[in-house]
Amino acid sequence: MYKVVIGLEVHCEMKTNSKNFSSAKNTYSEYPNEFVDTTDLGLPGILPVANKYAFENSIKMALALNCKVPDVVMFDRKNYYYPDLPKGYQITQDTKPVGRDGYVMINVNGEDIKIGIDNIHLEEDTASMDHFSTYSLIDYNRAGVPLLETVTTPCMHSVEEALTFLETLKGIFLYTGVSEARVDRGQMRCDVNVNLQNEEGKYITPKVEMKNINSFNNVKMAIESEVKRQIDCLENGRSNELIQETRHFDEESMTTKSARAKADAVDYKYYIEPNIPPIKIEDSWVEEIKKSIPMLQFDRVVKYMSNYELSRYDSEIIVKDKNVSDYFEETIKLGVNPKSSANWITTMILGYLNKNDLKITDISFKPNDLVELINMVDHGEISSKQSKQVFEKCLTDNKSPKKIVKELGMTQITDDKTIRDIVVKLLDEYPNLIEDHRKGKNTFDYFVGQVMKQTKGQANPVITKNIINEEMEKR
Amino acid sequence: MVTKEKLKDYAARLMFDMDDDGYDRTLKEFEVIEKHMDLIGKIDGIENVEPMTFPYVIYHAKFREDEVKESLTNEEVLANSKENKANQVKVPKVVL
Amino acid sequence: MKTILDYRSYLDEKKVTSEELFNESISKAHMYQEKYNSFVTILDEYNHKESDSLINGIPYSLKDNFSTKGILTTASSNILKDYVPVYSATAYKKLQDAGGILVGKTVLDELAMGGTSTTGATGSVKNPWDQNRLIGGSSGGSCAAVALGIVPFALGSDTGDSIRKPASFGGVVGFKPTYGRISRYGLFAFASSLDHVGCFTRCVKDAAIVTDILKGHDERDMTSLPDENINYTDMLDNDIKGKKLFYIKEITDPELYKDAGAITLEVLDKFKEAIEKCKKIGFIVEEVSIDEKLLKAIYPAYMTISCAEATSNNSNLTGIPFGPRGEGNNINEIMFDARTKGFSEFIKRRFILGSYILLKENQERLFKNAQRLRHMIVDKINSLFDIYDGMILPAGGGIAPTFDEEIDRLSDRYLILENHLAIGNFGGYPSITIPSGFVKDMPIAINITGPQFKDGEVLNIANKIEEELGYKGLIKEEYDV
Repeated sequence: MYKVVIGLEVHCEMKTNSKNFSSAKNTYSEYPNEFVDTTDLGLPGILPVANKYAFENSIKMALALNCKVPDVVMFDRKNYYYPDLPKGYQITQDTKPVGRDGYVMINVNGEDIKIGIDNIHLEEDTASMDHFSTYSLIDYNRAGVPLLETVTTPCMHSVEEALTFLETLKGIFLYTGVSEARVDRGQMRCDVNVNLQNEEGKYITPKVEMKNINSFNNVKMAIESEVKRQIDCLENGRSNELIQETRHFDEESMTTKSARAKADAVDYKYYIEPNIPPIKIEDSWVEEIKKSIPMLQFDRVVKYMSNYELSRYDSEIIVKDKNVSDYFEETIKLGVNPKSSANWITTMILGYLNKNDLKITDISFKPNDLVELINMVDHGEISSKQSKQVFEKCLTDNKSPKKIVKELGMTQITDDKTIRDIVVKLLDEYPNLIEDHRKGKNTFDYFVGQVMKQTKGQANPVITKNIINEEMEKR
Repeated sequence: MVTKEKLKDYAARLMFDMDDDGYDRTLKEFEVIEKHMDLIGKIDGIENVEPMTFPYVIYHAKFREDEVKESLTNEEVLANSKENKANQVKVPKVVL
Repeated sequence: MKTILDYRSYLDEKKVTSEELFNESISKAHMYQEKYNSFVTILDEYNHKESDSLINGIPYSLKDNFSTKGILTTASSNILKDYVPVYSATAYKKLQDAGGILVGKTVLDELAMGGTSTTGATGSVKNPWDQNRLIGGSSGGSCAAVALGIVPFALGSDTGDSIRKPASFGGVVGFKPTYGRISRYGLFAFASSLDHVGCFTRCVKDAAIVTDILKGHDERDMTSLPDENINYTDMLDNDIKGKKLFYIKEITDPELYKDAGAITLEVLDKFKEAIEKCKKIGFIVEEVSIDEKLLKAIYPAYMTISCAEATSNNSNLTGIPFGPRGEGNNINEIMFDARTKGFSEFIKRRFILGSYILLKENQERLFKNAQRLRHMIVDKINSLFDIYDGMILPAGGGIAPTFDEEIDRLSDRYLILENHLAIGNFGGYPSITIPSGFVKDMPIAINITGPQFKDGEVLNIANKIEEELGYKGLIKEEYDV
């Protein structure tokens, strides 16, 4: 049997106002070359000036990934020639990146797994190119956009682990606000390393790298097809085809193809960027940044399961979106039963949001409204059937549950005297049914039904039942 | 050992070529620099010295606040490019 | 009219207008161009922004590696022969805002990589004092423009000695302040960790005036120093009695140069005379000794570091977003062609050397050892600056070489005496070269280098020595008359 070994390098564009080393706008634009500064174009004489917010957020991400943040961070140059790299070098971090030796906890099918993070470093994106039949066009809008590269150790052993890691990482980016992590906009891109080990954990195929894979589904396909190819080569006497190389994942054929073979690896001639002095990282700064990191998905799931006794399934649904999770926690702070709240959120609220393509922050129905609604049901003020009707109406009319209940005349009759008067009159009318009841025949429900009929269903069922019992006892 | 062939390879990786004599002259320069650098490597205690990138320790470096400022216009971006199309720099097809 | 203040009083007394000064400057520039080749571009449009600074209305020129919006900037290289920048260097902006009148862009060694001003794409600059001699480089055009009286000041850049060495050959003052004192934004990078902006003037006071205008923090340059509320011009006449200077025995001892020839011995002799004059006006001057091995390593280490950084800094020159487009069938071929045609062999050799130095397998032995050597030198000099206010040395061991003279800066004769000015770049020290006399009718000079950040103090020391030596305001043509 073979053991698959997967390592990932994930590039993620950061959410900032301006670029990493220039003041040009960092935005997703349809118009090419609209947000380009001298520095992004690599004009002679330019100098990089590092973006404080991007830098702080890179530390934030390093901390969220449990990395060690060094006392001093430095930037380096990675030198190579490519038409999308106007300076002829990329400013990145090699000597002293913002984070090293971290980990992320993921959960695959109920099992907790620790994914090692080799390092995380802050760098800049390249220009983007559009390719046509005979020419290519270069748009420098993306050049210089702050990019965080997260490099895992080669520690994943299945497609599921790799994909769960990517989802978890994406969640961390969203929870920390460091990136919008829009895979569809190319904001999150992966390099995937794959090779095989035997049962004793010894590598039996060389590492193959697949660069720039632009969707999670393609990551899955790339791993699966590459694993298949490596096994096929091993088992069918074509081991000579297994070399350490970069392969290109072809979306159409869903296979990997050898990228043009370069006899030897490129030497990027890394050296310290002389225009950005080393940055001292004071402990107080790190502490301050640490405070700004919210509790992340993995820990929230653990908390929901152990403290609130939610199922993993429901917990995971809730934490998928931080705003939903925050919403949930807010209702709990307001004193509602977590299970009821979770139930409402996962079924009614998310159902409504999905149906109408809305976000939880878009709706007027706030945590206090949900708590109000749940309490009305718990206190028997409205039935659970009614509550669903109330919920829908709250959202369409942008009103609080109490208001809707009142408007719909749903308010129950809870007044003892009103109900007692009806009950006494009924019992007076049907003494024989009281007799039957005493003999063991169920006539109780008949009385309840009659009260409901006379009050058009507005009598509070609990109170009604109590009063009927009391009045029967008296006779 | 640095050979002429290696020098040609280095040049190719730097995206240029030159006359054959140029490589001969480069080879001679290499020998001299290597000789001098060998002497530097033999200086007492050099291995214990931290390599210096900056002329002095700079702690005054200031970050830029994350604010957008006016950048180049599209015309300025393309002003010095010899071939443009659809507001972009046009080059022969880049094969992936 | 020789100095900025001479120009100032003529303007203030309305004896001349700024436009007349500009016209006189450009006509001189054109007149001397064929003979001395100082300029890549001589402007024809008078462009003045009023200000109340001392240089308001006064012409100047810039080395052609400062980015000037709308004005051709070639760095004397074919790869930028048609490049018209869309932005301006901070130093240029500051001079324009101070009312300076740009006259032209001056010739340099291609991409500022050289010490002769003979490698530029538009030809060699000739020494105003003797056309058969070179002016030195790389800021040779700016030096010659000042020496010829075309402009009272000009900007240059100094990575190893590219301002201070030509200044010594041209009989003018050359000053580069502390690394970071003047923003490098818009100066075409050669070796970023060694590059300095500086100026050529005809007296120390003018260097202080120009530096006062140029200095200051720039949000475009992370290595630029914070602003200080100090005016160097005001410090020039401070009392220097008791200030301590040192010179290095291993550089100045005539015993070491027995085979070097008469000129070198005369230069060293004149240096000793200058030292005596310094003592006379109240300086304490002492000889110190530094391990010769360290001193001999300065130039190789300089070459190693600067070539490595230059290779990377010039990787942007591919002819794609700017510069002449190469020919070819695919993207690699067009970049390859642009670079093959755009750089001279001299530059290519340095790039190959630089890239070799940065290869993973060579970094430790070459790049990092050179950086370690740099550290050792700077530590040594810093420790001397704990005791002394400045270092005084001959700017070099001779007069400007003739064009056919073979110069091998790595030869034993030249290794220390001709290359020690790079110490100023290693440590980013303020460093100034001032004329100190003549040998064979050619100017020679001394250099004063001081502790980091002590720019005003170095200018003060230099100003006092200049007063005593008496070679202020030299202009070649006028000197002849």
